[in-house]
Amino acid sequence: MSSGCPPQSPAVAKSEVTVEGECPLLAATFAYWDNILGPRVRHIWTPKGDQVMFLSDGEVTFLANHTLNGEILRSAECGAVDVKFFVLAEKGVIIVSLIFDGELKGDKNTCALSIILPQTELAFYLPLHTICVERLKHVIRKGRIWMQKGYNIISVLSLEIVPIMELLASMKTHSVPEDIDIKDTVLNDDDIGDSCHEDFLHKAVSSHLQTCGCSIVVGSNPEKVNKIVRTLCLFLTPAERKCSRLCKADSSFKYDTGLFVQGLLKDSRGSFVLPFRQVLYSPYPTTHIDVDINTVKQMPPCHEHTYNQRRYMRSELSALWKTDSEEDIPPDTVIHTDESFTPDLNIFQDVMHKDTLVKSFIDEVFMLKPGLSLRSTYLAQFLLLLHRKALTLLKYIEDETQKGKKPFRSLRNLKTDLDLTVEGDLHIVMAFAEKLRAGLHSFVFGKPFYTSMQERDALMSF
Amino acid sequence: MIGSPDVVAFTKEDEYGQTAPDPWAPPEEFSVPLYPLADSNPWAKTSYAKFTKDFILISEFSEQVGPQPLLTIPDDPKVCGTFDLNYFSLRIMSVDYQASFVGHPPGTGYPRLSFVEDSRVVLGDSKEGAFAYVHHLTLYDLEARGFVRPFCMAYVSADERKIMLQFQELSLRFSQASECLKAGNRRAFAKELQRKLRDLEYTHSVLQREEGLQREAGPQRMYSAHAVEKANELANVEKSIYEHRDLLRQISSYHHRPRRDPHAVTCQKCITECLSECEQLLDKYAKLARPFSYTDKGEKGQEGQFQVNNERGEEDADEVEDEGVKRRPSYTPQLIKAKSAKCFDKRLKTLQELCNITFYEATVALLKETERGFRGDLCYLHTRRLDMALRRKQRVTNFLFEEDLGDDDDEGEGGTLKSFCAVNHTVDNYTLLNPPHIVLGPEPLELDALEPPGPLDLTSETSHTQETELGLVESHLDSSPSDQTLETQESSEETKGSCSSDKSEMGLAERQQDLTKSEAPDPDSDLILDPDHNTDLERESSSEEMETTAGDEGDETPVSLLEVVSELEATREDEFEGLTDGASDLLVPLDSACCMAQEGFLYEASAPEAVPRLGQSSHPHPCQNLVVNQEPQAQLPLQDEYTVGSPCSESPVTGLELPVGLLGDAVSRTSMEDGSDCTMSASTGSDRAASPLGYGGMVTLRQRKKAGQGALKFVRQYPFAMQALWCLLSGRTLVVLGADEGRVRRLVAALALFVPGPRKCGERVQAWLSCPFTLTDLQRWKLIGLQRVASPVGSSMLYSLSRYSRYISILDADQKTLRCPPYQGQLLANIADHRTYVRRGSTYFLQLQSTLCQLAARAFLLTFTHHLHLPVSSTEGPEVVEGRRRCFLQEQLGLGEEDSQILLYLSQLITQQYLKPATGSSAAATSFSFNYTTNVLYKI
Repeated sequence: MSSGCPPQSPAVAKSEVTVEGECPLLAATFAYWDNILGPRVRHIWTPKGDQVMFLSDGEVTFLANHTLNGEILRSAECGAVDVKFFVLAEKGVIIVSLIFDGELKGDKNTCALSIILPQTELAFYLPLHTICVERLKHVIRKGRIWMQKGYNIISVLSLEIVPIMELLASMKTHSVPEDIDIKDTVLNDDDIGDSCHEDFLHKAVSSHLQTCGCSIVVGSNPEKVNKIVRTLCLFLTPAERKCSRLCKADSSFKYDTGLFVQGLLKDSRGSFVLPFRQVLYSPYPTTHIDVDINTVKQMPPCHEHTYNQRRYMRSELSALWKTDSEEDIPPDTVIHTDESFTPDLNIFQDVMHKDTLVKSFIDEVFMLKPGLSLRSTYLAQFLLLLHRKALTLLKYIEDETQKGKKPFRSLRNLKTDLDLTVEGDLHIVMAFAEKLRAGLHSFVFGKPFYTSMQERDALMSF
Repeated sequence: MIGSPDVVAFTKEDEYGQTAPDPWAPPEEFSVPLYPLADSNPWAKTSYAKFTKDFILISEFSEQVGPQPLLTIPDDPKVCGTFDLNYFSLRIMSVDYQASFVGHPPGTGYPRLSFVEDSRVVLGDSKEGAFAYVHHLTLYDLEARGFVRPFCMAYVSADERKIMLQFQELSLRFSQASECLKAGNRRAFAKELQRKLRDLEYTHSVLQREEGLQREAGPQRMYSAHAVEKANELANVEKSIYEHRDLLRQISSYHHRPRRDPHAVTCQKCITECLSECEQLLDKYAKLARPFSYTDKGEKGQEGQFQVNNERGEEDADEVEDEGVKRRPSYTPQLIKAKSAKCFDKRLKTLQELCNITFYEATVALLKETERGFRGDLCYLHTRRLDMALRRKQRVTNFLFEEDLGDDDDEGEGGTLKSFCAVNHTVDNYTLLNPPHIVLGPEPLELDALEPPGPLDLTSETSHTQETELGLVESHLDSSPSDQTLETQESSEETKGSCSSDKSEMGLAERQQDLTKSEAPDPDSDLILDPDHNTDLERESSSEEMETTAGDEGDETPVSLLEVVSELEATREDEFEGLTDGASDLLVPLDSACCMAQEGFLYEASAPEAVPRLGQSSHPHPCQNLVVNQEPQAQLPLQDEYTVGSPCSESPVTGLELPVGLLGDAVSRTSMEDGSDCTMSASTGSDRAASPLGYGGMVTLRQRKKAGQGALKFVRQYPFAMQALWCLLSGRTLVVLGADEGRVRRLVAALALFVPGPRKCGERVQAWLSCPFTLTDLQRWKLIGLQRVASPVGSSMLYSLSRYSRYISILDADQKTLRCPPYQGQLLANIADHRTYVRRGSTYFLQLQSTLCQLAARAFLLTFTHHLHLPVSSTEGPEVVEGRRRCFLQEQLGLGEEDSQILLYLSQLITQQYLKPATGSSAAATSFSFNYTTNVLYKI
């Protein structure tokens, strides 16, 4: 490997990041296209500790430089962040590069923020690709502002590189397996209510499905938490399960934006503090389940969540834009400084929408004898029904609106025709459809700034 | 942390959420849009690309002109539109990730071939809205710089997410294509080396002779400048021979190098064959080296010449043999000039020339299949994949309403159809040409870790030989199922006629005529819409073609995609349950107790004397104190037991004898046989619409979707559609009576969607019958299209209709009436509402699938819920259990009497299907029931 590598640039700075456990990430790099010297690596981050594969700095530099190959032709719009994904069997690595433009030393340069993993981790990484990319994209937005101001981008990028290393390391040990044995879940109980209260289970699953399968489960007992995590994961696709994480028995992981289901352990005082910003940055609204006190709360539906998220992002970027000093990187907490936007901290609401789909399923599945594959089969039938209903809904709207060319005005007809008159049922199916066609909620419910209350009013008026 | 559920509206500052512009706000390029395009139109995300649909692009980094596009699949300029292929080729080829040393490395005597692994890149051009999976590979060319020609194959799409979500599948497909190209290229390269060596040998012998002559002619110990030049030339040629022999040795050692790519897909047969070819050549040219040890020039010259000639003779034979029927002229060695033509005006070899033509064509075929397999909208592809995975987990109910999963299982499990060598796809086309005999086998030991595991190795020479010998190469090998469907759809419908008793015989010309007719609107058709509807229909059909998802193309393409998925997944350990194993895994743990041990639930379907019960219950009564005492085996490949063919493949005895014996019906055995024969009667109808179902052939998803359109029209036009559907779903045979064959067939095709357990080939449906039916037929068919004729035959038919009216419902297509028991349930209200706003047949089909899936789930629940069939305590009698079951249906599921009949019937079918393998019966008898409820005549 090293034989074909050019000599390492003497100017490459390097940060070693201490990560607990085995981090599958080999290195992260920030490179840019120097108008005179060509591709140059500016900074390397490497995890400290056990690694599956070792890359020398020269090798990392060689690979990072190559991520910019061909980018001299780049004609993207200003501010665009393009993603390149390499699987280089010859080098035995995969590289994810985010290409963007930024101002360095007064010149516009093409830059690349990359992470490098061993090729053997391809199957592990692919389900997590979107999470990593979305998080890196946002930190690049912040970094571009920093570069514009002539500040050092590395400190901003480190804000996300390190958590991503931690995320990958935690997923290596605690991700939910693709195949879940129903015996490890609540659905294997002899009778409904054995593990948890019937209404709690119904509410948890219903809300979980209404929030696109995105949930956090908190509690003091890791076994109890993980049982609910696994139960909720039964309702996810195998790929989504790979983006879910069990809770650690001894101490808690940090909340990670983008995971579908994650179990989090409360501290000794019985509390767990969720970072507002990270929860808001999740691609989908989240259900909050506390297994200690059997509460289920949920964030507003997708369109409202997206709207809130974007407003928060804009506020955050705006705050950064207004910063006068390089030392003042705004903390990742609530932004108070923007007078025009005060985020609502009460983002979790009670589950208001009753449904019949999950209710019937929960009632019925426990009628089947446990310990056999009967319940798994029945679950598969239930999921098949939901997926098909979602596709039907999508197709119905597609027909009505000529693929979005016309506004959708027949929600009432849709509910009648597709047997979705119960509000909770509609929300569940809409959530499934949203995952298939992002932006569907905003399109269907019209003005994206509707709050849940307003939406409910709107729905009632039909 | 969790606060009040009260929500403060964010938009308080103004009504529309539009705040006054902030002078300190960052420019938009440093912010995020508040209202992204996807919010206003979720379908617009990919609309700004300049091409209309995904395509595959093959590009080359030419050493003469730089990156250039070579080929697109599909090869239709409309697909690429105004998209700049040259620019995009430049972009995707501008990164040489395989860069490593080529040519003469320092310290080595001979040029080295560079064996590099393929690289895979996903990149995009956000401005153009084009994204691509790019597979880089290197081919060898003796005349190219460094002997390498870099190529890439790219899957270009406007949807970046589609590429990333299907990265592994794409990678697998393109790896196959790449390996195929490379295998062909290595052969071609070896052949090229062979020719070059022969040229060199020939040149060497000529030079040697000339040099010897000059030496003899000149004064002793004096060498002219010309002689020296000749000697140098000779030395150069000798060096060149050594170099080329070394290249041959290197290309032979290609297979022994350790693979660094864990995702590479290799065909052991290709490797072995190429290896043996190269080794033969090596042996051959090792012998030719002897002339260099020249002792007697005179002899040498002759010997050399002889050897060359001899070699040429062998070569001719080889070529004739190798090239098969091509009969290309034998190769004549050329004299090589001192300076090789390494200049820019030389013509570079085309991709076809670089690879063996067989391999090239196989690769293109594979790429075409890949393009078809990945065509369409991601959400439909994705859902279809999930749909398949979920259906695999519920085999016990799939037979009710789902299309067959059998083939996928075969591929997922057996591996026999999982060809990792693209050449297999076209193997039958080259049978006469003595093509490379591609058989997959295990990798050599040292490569084991890098090779796809076990199941892939199962494709054996045996299977291949059988197929070729029989001339029955499976479509999976020849072409994907989608190929077959797409290409032979029309013919397959006709083929069905040959195995379906109801398909009347007709001449080819007549069929052609009818086909044409069937395309034209039928003025009498019930299902013809008004002009507005027609317009709508046209728009729909065109839209559905465009809709590469659930539409015409999309319905099949995911199948081949799923092949890829299954191939991928099969490489993971125990990922898939195979047909047999999977079924056993699923069903061994299933507690059959509630299906087999409870009294009063099952009737014995196994005994040959078992009879369909013509009980006088008010609803289907599946239980009559008969207990199956035999443990059901792990459910065998249920549907695979059905043969593709006519309904006659069903055990005729079961159908013929039972009702007669029990009822003492006046229908004699003879008459029943006659009746059975009658079904073979020729059609007299001139207007035959294509009816997808009930022909004995496989019913494809595409056909079912088309039938969905008909079903929607039926529901819209007939207010009593719900009653008709209820009849079908509750097991009551529905006879569609009409004089117009086309109309009847269309109605039958539409209604067949509602027939539970139609079987693989629609054996439960008789699309067109022109003679009286018998009780046996009612046992066999649940939906019958019956010809109304004004003749003695017609009167006997009417007689049979009235005679069996207690068992059947009659939909009169001419009078537009329905005679059947009254139905007042609500279960079907959703799919049979004539006021529905569902616009398209494909959407209605999806809705139908959902509803039927829900029905199947409930029937499963009813079937396998123990306490609904077994006494909880010893004191409970059957009536208590019966009461509990009724209570379950009415209170838990909220079903009325008529709706309950549907579930009971479905449950009964599940039970039969479940127990069938254990009983050894090939076709379990269905129960036959009627009630005394008066039939009602419904009119429009």
